[in-house]
Amino acid sequence: MNLKQLNILLADDDTDDCYFFKEALNESPLSTQYTAVHDGEQLMQLLTNDTYTLPHVLFLDLNMPRKNGFECLSEMKRNEKLKALPVIIYSTSYHNKIAEMLYQNGANYYISKPSEISQLKKAVQQIITLIAQGRISQPTKEKFVLTTEKNNYQKLLWFNDFFAIPVAQKINKLP
Amino acid sequence: MAKIKNSEEDELTIALAELAFQKEEKEKLVAELIIVREELAFQKEEQGKRAEELGIANIELVFEDDEKGKRAAELIIANKELVFQNEEKEKRAAELGIANKELIFQNDEKEKRAAELSIANKELAFQNEEKEKRAAELIIANSELAFQNEEKEKRAAELIIANKELLAFTYVSSHDLQEPLRKIQTFVSIILENENDNLSDNGKYNFQRMQLAAGRMQQLIDDLLAFSRITTTELKFEKTDINTIIEEVKAELKDTILEKHATIEAIELCPANIIAFQFRQLMYNLISNALKFSNPDIPLHILIKSRIVKGSKLNNKKLSPDKEYCHITIKDNGIGFEPHFSERIFEVFQKLHNKEVYGGTGIGLAIVKKIVENHNGIIIATGELQKGATFDIYFPAN
Repeated sequence: MNLKQLNILLADDDTDDCYFFKEALNESPLSTQYTAVHDGEQLMQLLTNDTYTLPHVLFLDLNMPRKNGFECLSEMKRNEKLKALPVIIYSTSYHNKIAEMLYQNGANYYISKPSEISQLKKAVQQIITLIAQGRISQPTKEKFVLTTEKNNYQKLLWFNDFFAIPVAQKINKLP
Repeated sequence: MAKIKNSEEDELTIALAELAFQKEEKEKLVAELIIVREELAFQKEEQGKRAEELGIANIELVFEDDEKGKRAAELIIANKELVFQNEEKEKRAAELGIANKELIFQNDEKEKRAAELSIANKELAFQNEEKEKRAAELIIANSELAFQNEEKEKRAAELIIANKELLAFTYVSSHDLQEPLRKIQTFVSIILENENDNLSDNGKYNFQRMQLAAGRMQQLIDDLLAFSRITTTELKFEKTDINTIIEEVKAELKDTILEKHATIEAIELCPANIIAFQFRQLMYNLISNALKFSNPDIPLHILIKSRIVKGSKLNNKKLSPDKEYCHITIKDNGIGFEPHFSERIFEVFQKLHNKEVYGGTGIGLAIVKKIVENHNGIIIATGELQKGATFDIYFPAN
């Protein structure tokens, strides 16, 4: 599959992160059409609208107002029409327990928001290349996460205690 | 003549009367005689009756005599019996005398006892009073304690809340403070990429410094979080394989290990009773420390080994001589340090090098020390400049 134009949807409530994302897309050699929504409810309304043409890929933030990324992902995977839409997690926080959960819930890749624009470009580029070549699928677990900050080991430990475990429990309870 | 006649008549009358009287008398006598006769007959009869009665009485007497003989015999027997009983009674009386003496003695004793008891009783009454006083005091003390307990519970509840707030604050620091920092770094990286041609060399230099400063701040937040985490989280000891921990840390640091051509040799590591996630952090900090302060001219070699040793053999007053200790050594061939810094390197924010040469926040080894203390152990650093550093950790094996 060789596409003339890639339709890309981003769900992220943070204006700066949307800007960074657009910046990362700009230098892509492929022609892209970019749309952004700013909360989970907006996202689900748009995706379930019959007149809306589904994008080629969705970049999904986890921590969003009204409906978070976890909820959106499980809703999509339970919806026949949306099941096959490739979902790339685009989030600040990274933890392997959460990553594991998202992997099992059918997310395709995980981009942990880096602090270098070059790293973001690289990751986004990798995804849209796979999409354009029609080779997007779920990779092995080891290749699921595209960017992790160097030296974030301690942060991860902390995150595990305070955030990841309660969230993981919440996800488990979802039908 | 009448008179004579009369007299004669009188005499006659008298004589007649006399005769009548005599006759009467005779009749009376006869009657009396009859009566006497009757009397005699009666008496005779009576005598006969008496004789008869006497005969009977005699028989009676003979019988009575017999009876008396029998009685006498019985009396003799009874007498003997009485003598015997008397003897018995005397014996009893003697015994009773003895018993009486005994009783008198016992009575005396009882009186003594009673006197003692009465003293003891008074004593008890006094003690009782004292006890009541004490009890009253105790009731007061108790209510005081209950009040203090309540206060303590309130404090504890407040502490739990404060702790949660602290945790929430730390999370906010971890997540929300780093968010703007990451953005500053990203914006700077965009400027440096997109506006590179428009910037003067001085402008570029300033942006690079800004990026470095932001990076250091991020590191500082991470380290401070790790430090507070060591203090606030619950301590759960469990038997853990230290080899596994080292493998995990090696995997985490594999890029740096490759970059520095470092070899990490772990030998004879025994399982230990530890707080696993803290120990992982400890190993991470010590190994990354060794990687950071490696000698650029010599390939880094880190040796990790352990043994179980009795406290008495360690000769350290902070260690109990009768306890068994797990002794872990982490030794490297890096740049080492001057021996007089061996204590100071464990203090927060203490650094021996300029941050331009060796990055870091000076918290890593403070965390290490805190973790060892959480394990009721001690850590000793020994080093010599350019000749490597050795960290010896001792903590109770059980």
